Amino acid sequence: MATTRDYEPDLYPGDASNTWNVEEELTAGRELQRRAAKSGVDEWMEVEFKFGGSRVKRKAVALILLGAPAALPLFFMLPALLTMNENTFSGSVDDTLGTGAEMCLFLCLLITPLVMITGQRWFVPLRRWYGIMMACCAIGDALAAGLTDTFAGGFLGRVAGHSFELVGFIMVMLVIPLLLTGNHWAQRKLGRYWKPLQRLTYVIWGLLAVHLMLLEGFKFQHGGNGSGFAGDGDPVFHQRFYQYSVCSLFLLTLRLPPVKRWIAARQSEGRNWLVYLTIMPIFALFVFGFTFIVSEEIFKGVDSFTEHPSNE
Amino acid sequence: MSETYVRRGREQTTAGGFIVVAISALAAVLVIAGLIYAAGTSERHKQVLAAAGCEPNLSPSGLPCTTVQMLTSRYIKISAPVTEQLNTDMAAYTANEWHRLGAAKAALTAEVTIENSFETSLARFPFPPAVAPLAKALIQADQASAKLTAEQARSSSLTQLRSFNGRAKAASAAVRTDMKLMRKALETRPTASQEP
Repeated sequence: MATTRDYEPDLYPGDASNTWNVEEELTAGRELQRRAAKSGVDEWMEVEFKFGGSRVKRKAVALILLGAPAALPLFFMLPALLTMNENTFSGSVDDTLGTGAEMCLFLCLLITPLVMITGQRWFVPLRRWYGIMMACCAIGDALAAGLTDTFAGGFLGRVAGHSFELVGFIMVMLVIPLLLTGNHWAQRKLGRYWKPLQRLTYVIWGLLAVHLMLLEGFKFQHGGNGSGFAGDGDPVFHQRFYQYSVCSLFLLTLRLPPVKRWIAARQSEGRNWLVYLTIMPIFALFVFGFTFIVSEEIFKGVDSFTEHPSNE
Repeated sequence: MSETYVRRGREQTTAGGFIVVAISALAAVLVIAGLIYAAGTSERHKQVLAAAGCEPNLSPSGLPCTTVQMLTSRYIKISAPVTEQLNTDMAAYTANEWHRLGAAKAALTAEVTIENSFETSLARFPFPPAVAPLAKALIQADQASAKLTAEQARSSSLTQLRSFNGRAKAASAAVRTDMKLMRKALETRPTASQEP
């Protein structure tokens, strides 16, 4: 959510460069090193190439390719929206758009750790895009649930009638100001209040844990009961709270101030390889969990797109 | 810059190191556990399907659950209209084969169309491996019948048209026999030795 076209490190919550102020000399040295390290890939990304009659930056192509998948959840729901297929909406919109919103939130939260580890900044604009897509998916999910769910109590009862829904509803309410202020104009108008406001993303991240806990619990499926039903025999991998936890472990670890200091210290020593080596298992776990979120999104999304919502 | 200040800085980075190494070790254990768990996916998949009354060996296309009844009913859904239409077309042909060349040829052309569409449906059908040879034989018999009927439909006289009757009847009978055999084979629950 908190992204601008021209990235300024101090404007973002939890940015790596905010936290290192132990020794000024070291800081200056590290900054120099980081700039030197980032310049390689960042400068390569700035290079233009000829495409048709115009010149296009490599960065633009890379950003489009990396950003396009975030629009998939909304794309999957398009046929059901155009045909006003209530059956598809009530059957799979929560899975398609809800999982899509979770996916976009994780991608949005992934940008800061990646900037810190790689020292590259060319992909920072994706944070805003993923944030916008997350907001659109979450709002779409709430609207569709309110209009088509089978729960009693009218629109409000359907979006906030159960405890997990209430948490989801609060998340959607919080995402609205983020969506409205995720632009340069709002950033200028809000001034120093803009950054704390954008930190609501972290509240949403925390509430998502509560939402999934209430929805799925801590256990996974045994026989015909429990969460994470999967015909493929992998209930553990399909348990949404587990997926959330393993993905969040990486995102949270790299936001801990002592860890950020340790990483910065290793980078200042020129031992970034040690950072990569140490965080590799945490990142592998993130990829492991995220793969199943994406798999869920594609499986349910294709069902929604073909208007044959899955019962799973 | 005081010594205490530097020492505190070092302690802070050491704490970060401990945290990241501990979490990393935990993550490594979880990844390895996940990979070991993933290795048993196939077996668990079969157990889940069997518990739900599904036949794991009837799900070659990756369908989450396929029972014998589901597969048979799906087959009947495509084969029953074909049989019905073929009977209608053959009746029309029989009624016209002695007097009206145009009408008889139209009936044969309709027959070719339905035979070709049946072939397409069969090619798309998720036949389990156990009946794959029979499916191949059925498709070949249908193709042969369609080819012969198309040739018959190109006849320029009623006599020429009727000269195909014997062969056409045999080809059509072969298709019907294979269709019956296929239905019987699909209705039979596959044995353990027929596991894919």
